[in-house]
Amino acid sequence: MNKFSLFATLLLTVPAYTLLNAQASASDQTWKLDQSTLTYHMSHPMHEVDGTSHAALGTGKCHAGQCDFLVAVAVKSFDSGDSNRDLHMIQTTRGAQFPYVQVRFRLSQASLNASTLDCDLEVQFAGNTANYSHVTFQQTVQGASHHITGVVPSTVSDFKIDPPTFLTIPIKNAIPVRVDMVWHAE
Amino acid sequence: MEIQGRTWAGVTRVLIGGLCFTILCAVPGRLAAQISQQQGIQVASSKAETLTLPDAPLPVVVTKSALNRGNTLSSGSSLLTHAQNQPPSNGPSLSDLGLSPADTEGSAARQALMDRRTHMLKIHQRLGLITVIPVAAACISSAGAPPEKGNYSDTTSRDIHVALGATAVAMYAATASYAIRAPRVSHEPARGGVKWHKYLIYIHAPGMVLTPILGAMAYNQISSGQKVHGIASAHGAVAAATAASYGAAILAVSWPIHIKF
Repeated sequence: MNKFSLFATLLLTVPAYTLLNAQASASDQTWKLDQSTLTYHMSHPMHEVDGTSHAALGTGKCHAGQCDFLVAVAVKSFDSGDSNRDLHMIQTTRGAQFPYVQVRFRLSQASLNASTLDCDLEVQFAGNTANYSHVTFQQTVQGASHHITGVVPSTVSDFKIDPPTFLTIPIKNAIPVRVDMVWHAE
Repeated sequence: MEIQGRTWAGVTRVLIGGLCFTILCAVPGRLAAQISQQQGIQVASSKAETLTLPDAPLPVVVTKSALNRGNTLSSGSSLLTHAQNQPPSNGPSLSDLGLSPADTEGSAARQALMDRRTHMLKIHQRLGLITVIPVAAACISSAGAPPEKGNYSDTTSRDIHVALGATAVAMYAATASYAIRAPRVSHEPARGGVKWHKYLIYIHAPGMVLTPILGAMAYNQISSGQKVHGIASAHGAVAAATAASYGAAILAVSWPIHIKF
C-alpha cells in the first residue's frame, strides 16, 4: 500500500512540476520589434509637415505576468523630405545632446493579445520626460506577428521645446506621433 | 702660347668660380630641405605622440538619483545624456537594444555647433527677407533711371536708383555672409527645397556682382551724354534675372505653402 501511494504521489507530482515549470518559462517572455513606422506631424499656418522614421528599435521583457517594453528611435532618423528642416528639427529638439527618443510602458502579459492596448507611456525626449496615460493602440494578431497602430498625443511644450517659427509665427503645440509597429514574441 | 695659357687660366677660374657658386647655392637648399624633412618627421612624431597619449582622468560627478540607483555618471557634457539613458525601472535598457553607450551618448559640443548654425541661418533668413525691400525698390526705381527724352542732366531719379541698388547689393552680401560662415554640420547632400535654394545661388550670386558693374558702366555712359550701349545695355536684363532668381530662392525654402489658419 505504501509503495503504491508513493508511486501515485510520484506520478502526480512529476506532471504537476512539469506543468508549473512550463508556465514559468512561458511567463518569462521576450518581445522584439520587427518593423516600425513612426511619423510626427507638425502644423504651421503655412506648412503641414510629416517626418517619418523606420529606424525604431524595441524590446520587451515579461516576468511574473508583467511585461516591460522599451522603444528607442534616433532623433536624426526622422526624414521630412527636407534636409535643412531635419537639421533644424534636430537642433530644436536638442537631438545632438539627447540623440534617442525613448518610450517605456508596462502591460500585463494577459492583455498582450487584446485588440486594444491601453498603455501608460513614459517618453524621454529632448532631455525631458513626459508621461501619457491611457494611450490606446489597436492591435491585430496574425500568427506570431502583432501589428500595433495608434497615435501618441505629444506636444512641443511637454518636452520644454521652444517652438520653431516661420515668418515669426510659431508652429502649433501639438506634435502627434503616428505609430505603426510589428512585434513578435521570441 | 702665353696667351693660350692665360685663356686657359681664365676659363679654369670661371669654371672653379661657377662650381663654387653652384655648391654654395645648392647645399643650403638641400640642407634646408633635409632640416624641414626632419622637422616634418619630428612634428609628425610629436603629433602621433600627442594623439596616442591617454586622456587625463576627468572628475566623476555623481548625482543624487544615480547614488540611489547605485550608478555612477560620467562627467562633463554627457552627464544629462547618461542620466537620460538610465532605465527608470527594472525594464529593458538601451543596451538590450544593442546600443552601446557610444551610440546613445550625446555631445554638448555638437549641440552648441548646431545652435550656432541655426542662429546664423536665422539671421541669414531675416536679412534675406529684409533685402527683398531694397531689391524690389531698386527694380521699381529703375523705371526712372534712363534719361527722359535726351535730358541727360536730370540725375535725381537715377541717383535714387543707384542708392537703392547699392543698398540691395550690400544687404545681399551681408545675407550671404551668414549662410557662408554658418558651420556645416552634415555632409549629406541637400534634399528638398533647400537643394533648389542652393542651385539658385549660381544665378543670383553672379547676377549681384554683374548688375552693379553693368549699372556703373551704363551710368558713366549716360553721364557722358551717350546712349547706353554695348554690354552695359544688358544691365536691366541681368538685374531682372537676378531679382527673379532671388525671389525664387526665397520661395524654394518656403515651398510647399499650405495656408491654413
